[in-house]
Amino acid sequence: MKPISQSVIKKDHLAKASGSAIYVADYDPGQMLQGLILRSPHAHARILSIEYPELPKGYFAVDYRDVPGINEVHIVKDDTPVYANTTVEYIGDPVMMLVGPDERELKRLLPQVKVEYEVLPPVIDVRDGDTVFFDYHFGKGDMDAALAQADQIFEETFETGYQEQAYLEPQGLIADFNQGKITVRGSMQCPYYVHGALAKAMGLPPDKVRVIQDVTGGGFGGKEDYPSILACQVAVAAYKAQGKPVRVIFGRREDMEFTSKRHPSLCTYKAAVKNGRVTALDAKVIFNAGAYTTLSAVVLQRGIIAASGVYDIPALKVHGQAVKTNTVPNGAYRGFGAPQTFFAIEMLMEHIAKASGEEPLAFKLRHLVRQGDETSTGGRYHFPVPLPAMVEEVRQMSDFDQKRRLYAQPQSGTTRRGIGISLWFHGAGFTGSGERDIIKAVCRLHKFPDGRVEILASQSDIGQGIKTTLCKIVANELNLLLDQVSYDNPDTDRVPDSGPTVASRSLMTVGELLRRAAIRLRSQWQEGKDQTVEEHFKEPDFVIPFYIDKFQGDAYPTYAWGVCAVEVQVDTLTGFNEILSTWASFDVGTPIDLNIVTGQMEGGLLQGLGYASMEQMAADSKGRIRNNSFSDYIIPTSMDVPLMKVKLHVEPYPDGPYGAKGAGELPLVGAAPAYMSALEQALSGPIYHIPFSAEDALKLIKQSRRAEA
Amino acid sequence: MVNGFSPATLKEALEIRARQQVIPYAGGTDLMLNPNPDAVYLFVNQIAEMKRIVQKDELLHLGAACTYTQLLEHPLTPAILKEAIALIAAPAIRNEGTIGGNIANGSAKADSVLIFFVADASIRLSSLSGERVIPIKAFYQDRKRLDLHDDELITEIILPTQWLEHYYYKKVGARKALAISRVDFAGLMTVKDGRIKHCATAFGAISGVILRRPDLDELLIGQTLAEASRLKAAYLASYAEVIAPIKGRVSAEYRKEVCLNLLEDFLNSNGIR
Amino acid sequence: MNQRIAFKLNGQSVVYEGSAADRLLDVLRQTYRLTGVKCGCNEGECGACSVLIDGHLANSCMVAMGRVANCEVTTIEGFSQTKRFEVLERAYAAVSAVQCGYCIPGMILASECVLARHPHPTETEIRSGLSGNLCRCTGYNAIVQAIQIAAREGEGLW
Repeated sequence: MKPISQSVIKKDHLAKASGSAIYVADYDPGQMLQGLILRSPHAHARILSIEYPELPKGYFAVDYRDVPGINEVHIVKDDTPVYANTTVEYIGDPVMMLVGPDERELKRLLPQVKVEYEVLPPVIDVRDGDTVFFDYHFGKGDMDAALAQADQIFEETFETGYQEQAYLEPQGLIADFNQGKITVRGSMQCPYYVHGALAKAMGLPPDKVRVIQDVTGGGFGGKEDYPSILACQVAVAAYKAQGKPVRVIFGRREDMEFTSKRHPSLCTYKAAVKNGRVTALDAKVIFNAGAYTTLSAVVLQRGIIAASGVYDIPALKVHGQAVKTNTVPNGAYRGFGAPQTFFAIEMLMEHIAKASGEEPLAFKLRHLVRQGDETSTGGRYHFPVPLPAMVEEVRQMSDFDQKRRLYAQPQSGTTRRGIGISLWFHGAGFTGSGERDIIKAVCRLHKFPDGRVEILASQSDIGQGIKTTLCKIVANELNLLLDQVSYDNPDTDRVPDSGPTVASRSLMTVGELLRRAAIRLRSQWQEGKDQTVEEHFKEPDFVIPFYIDKFQGDAYPTYAWGVCAVEVQVDTLTGFNEILSTWASFDVGTPIDLNIVTGQMEGGLLQGLGYASMEQMAADSKGRIRNNSFSDYIIPTSMDVPLMKVKLHVEPYPDGPYGAKGAGELPLVGAAPAYMSALEQALSGPIYHIPFSAEDALKLIKQSRRAEA
Repeated sequence: MVNGFSPATLKEALEIRARQQVIPYAGGTDLMLNPNPDAVYLFVNQIAEMKRIVQKDELLHLGAACTYTQLLEHPLTPAILKEAIALIAAPAIRNEGTIGGNIANGSAKADSVLIFFVADASIRLSSLSGERVIPIKAFYQDRKRLDLHDDELITEIILPTQWLEHYYYKKVGARKALAISRVDFAGLMTVKDGRIKHCATAFGAISGVILRRPDLDELLIGQTLAEASRLKAAYLASYAEVIAPIKGRVSAEYRKEVCLNLLEDFLNSNGIR
Repeated sequence: MNQRIAFKLNGQSVVYEGSAADRLLDVLRQTYRLTGVKCGCNEGECGACSVLIDGHLANSCMVAMGRVANCEVTTIEGFSQTKRFEVLERAYAAVSAVQCGYCIPGMILASECVLARHPHPTETEIRSGLSGNLCRCTGYNAIVQAIQIAAREGEGLW
C-alpha cells in the first residue's frame, strides 16, 4: 500500500459527529422568509389563469411573471421553465411559490391559490411516447453478416425501474438578493452549474451571482441538476422579497415525489452467436426521460456507450432514445445510465450461456475485453483490464465454484439458495470531450505567508470525502501536515470553476490538477510570501479524440472495474429473498484513502443491491409517483445485507493522482445483475426486470414448478 | 385551556376523559404521523397502573401503556409475543410505542394485535362509570372502527397463556427491519396424547380487520393427526374461501397465496401432512 | 394554548412554554436551536432526529412535548460533552464511518444505546440496534466496526 493510501481522520469528521456542522436547514430562521411551492395536480394541462387570494402583510406570490431574466433553467438544453407559464408537463411541475414568514400560514394559504387548467392528454407509459428528446445511433463491424451467419439468435427485452437517491438530507437552498447581486447557498453538488443557471434566469452578469455550497447531506447525483432548478425559483422569490433572504427546504415527501430519479429503461437486445461466441449485438435502449430534458442526453450517452458491457463483441449496433413522458423529469443518479445497460448485457450473457449449457461465468470470461482492444466507440482500452484477476479474488472469497455447484443440485425444504456473479466497468470521468471542450477545469492553490495552503476549487464534499482526499494530495506534494492544508466549502466568489462534482471525476481529474499545482508551488515556494498558483485541465496525450456526433473515439480515458458475487436465500412460501452475503473486488486505481474508498465501495454496493430488489418506485396511471416516503420507498437498513466484503484491486492510472481513477459510481453500476443471477439459480427461471419483488419471486417459483411437472 | 394532560393515576385520567374531548396519547408513534397542533392529548404514558405486567393463573394481564421494549425485556412475556414485537419497526419506535396504542390505532397490520387475536385475548376498557372486558374480536368492528366509548380508556389486555407455547409466526415485510407487514400470520396448535387439543390461526394485514375464524379451526380440534391430515384439504379450502385480501403495494393474489402457503406450512410443521 | 412543560434538556432544567402537542423535534431545533437533531422524514422512518429520553432512544419527530414532561432529554449536543461520546467519536473516526454526516448524530446516539444495553455486543445486536437509523452513504459496515472498536476502547464505560 502506498503511504498516500493510509487513512487519516476526515477533515469534516468532528463537526459532523458532534452535530455542530451546519446544513442549510440549520441556519437561524431569524428574518428569513420561507417559500412553499404550488405544483401542478395534472400530468399535462394548459394554464388558463392563476388567481391569488388576498395575502396577509408580509406574504407574496411568485410566478413566471416575476422572473427577471429568461424563464428557463440552464442545464443542457434549457427547456425546463423556472415556473410554468403556458403548460404544465407533469404532476408536480412548479407553478408558483408562496413566500412569507410563517410556514403554517403558508400551508393554510397555498390551497387558496386558484389555478385554472385545461387538462390535456398525458403520456404516462414510455411505450406510448411520441416525443423523442434524444436519438443516438452508433456501431461497428458487419451486423448483417453476423446475423446471417449466426448459429443462434437471441432476442430479449429488459426493464428497469426508477431509483430514488434517498440522500438523508432533503433538498434545500437559501437565496438573498442584495445590492444588485444574488447569493444562493445550500445543499448542492455543482456550485457553478447553479451559478450558470442563475445568471440566465436572473438576467445578471456572472459577477453579480454568488453561489455557496453548504455542508451537504448526500447527493448521489440527486443534487447535480436539481439545485439549479430550485435555485432559480428561490432566487426569483428573493428578488421580489426586497432584501430578505428566502429559504426553501423540502420535506421528504416533496423531495421523493418531485425531484429527479434514475431513468426507468427498456432495453431490447438481439445477439448473434456463432461457434459458442457472441459475434454481434444489436441494442435498442429506451430511457424514460420524464417531462423535460434536464440531463437525459448525457445520461443516455453513458448508458449506450456501455451497451456491450465488458465484452468484446465484433459487430455492434446501438440505438438509444430518451423519450418524453408526462412524469417527473429523471436525471443523474450514481452510475448515470450505465446500471440500466449493464443489467441488460449481464443478464443476456447469463441467458445465452445457460441456453448453450455453459456456466455463465466461464462464458463471460471467454468474451472479456483486454488491454488494447477496441471499445464500443472505436476507442481503446489503453490500460490493463484486471477483470480475470478480480474474478479470481471474488471466487476465492466467496467459495463461488463450490456454492454454485451445490445450489445447482435439487434443494428441499422451504428455502432455495443461489449464488451469482457480475462483471462491469465504469468509464472514469466525463463522457467524451466534455472535460476538454465544456468544463475546462481551473483550480488554484493559495499559500499564506505563514506557510498554510488553501485549495481553491469548486468540488463539493457530499460525504465522499473530497475535502480530505484533495488536502492529502496537496499536503503530500508540499510535505506539509494535513492540518496546514485547508479546503472550505466552495464559494464562487472565491474559487475558480474546477467543474462539477459528478461523473467520479473530482479526485481523478481535479485531484491531479491540484497535484500538479502543488508541484509547481513547491518549485516556486518562497518563505513568508503570499503566493498563488493556477492549473488548467489538459487532456492526456494518449486519448483518441471523441466526437459525440459519431460516437467515435475514447469516451473515457480509463476505466474502473468491478466484480461482485451475491448469495441469496429465497423463502418459497413468501418469495421473500434475503442476501446472505456479498463479495466484491473493485479497481479504482490507487486509493487516496483506504477507509474513504472502502466506504464508497460498500455504500455504493448496498445502493446497487437495493436497486435490484427492495427499492420499488412507480408512477400510477395518472403519472404520480406513489412511493413518496421512507415507509413506502424501502432502502436497506443495517439488517438487510449483514455480510458485505469488499476488496480493492489496484491497477494504477498514470494520469490520475498517484494512480487514482474514478471511484464513487463504480460499486453501484453492476451489482443488480449479480443479485439477479443468484436469484435465477435459486428460482430456476429467467429474470428480465428489476426491481424484482417477493411477489415476482413467488410467480417464478410457481412457473418453474409447473415446468418441472 | 391547555392541550395536554399528564395524569399520574388512572382515576385522574378517567376523570379528564369523562370531562372533555381528549386524544389518549400512549406512545405517540401513530398519532404523531399526522400531528394536529390543536389536539388535546391525554398522556397516559406515566400512569403506573397502565404499565403493569401480572400473571394470574392462566391469564397474563398486560397494562395498555406497556411499551414494546418493556415487554421484550420482561420474563413473563410469552415467546410468540416477543417474536412478533421484536420485528416491529426498530428500537426507537419500540421504546415509545405501546400495545394499547397498537390496538387503538385500529389497523389490521398491527403486529402485536395479531398475537392478541390468535390468543383470543380480551380487552379491559375503563371509564369513571365502570369497566367492560370484551373479546378483542368483538372490539374491532371494522377498519379503524372500535367499540370504544368517548369516556373510556383501553387499560389492559388480558392474554390467556394456556395455548401459547406451541406457535408458528411469520411476518412478511419488504425488508428485515423497519417494515410494515404485508402479510402477518400466527398459528397455535397443541397436540396432546395424539389429539389436537387446540388450534387457532390469525391473518394480519390482508383485510380491514385481522382475520380470526375459530369456526373454521374447529374442524381440526379433537382430531388425531392422521384424521387431521385427511381433513387438511377441506380445512385449507375453507380458508381459501374466506381469505379475500385487499390490494395494496402487493397484489391481492399474492397476499392470498402467501396466506395459504403459510397456513399449510403451519399444518405441515405440526405433522399434518 | 400555552402551557409550561418542565423537563431536563442536556442536563439543565428547562421549562417549555408552548403547546403540549408540539413536536419535540421542532422544539429542539427551533426553540432551543439544537440543530444537531436532524429532520430526515418527519415520520419515524429514518432515525436522523434520534434523541435520548431518559436514556432510551426515541425519534423526536414522533414525540409530543407533553410526553417529555419531567423527563430527561439528551441530544447530540449534550451527549457530545461526555466521555462515552469521545470514545465513540474516535472509533467512528478510526474507520471513517462519517460520510455525509446527516444520519450521524442519530447514529451515534443509537450506538450509545447499543453499548448501554450490550457493553460487549455481537454484530447482530449492533445491527439490530441500528436498524431504525437509515444511512444511505456507508453501507453500515464502517458504523458497525466503529461500535465494535468503541466497545473495546471504552472498556468499563458502559
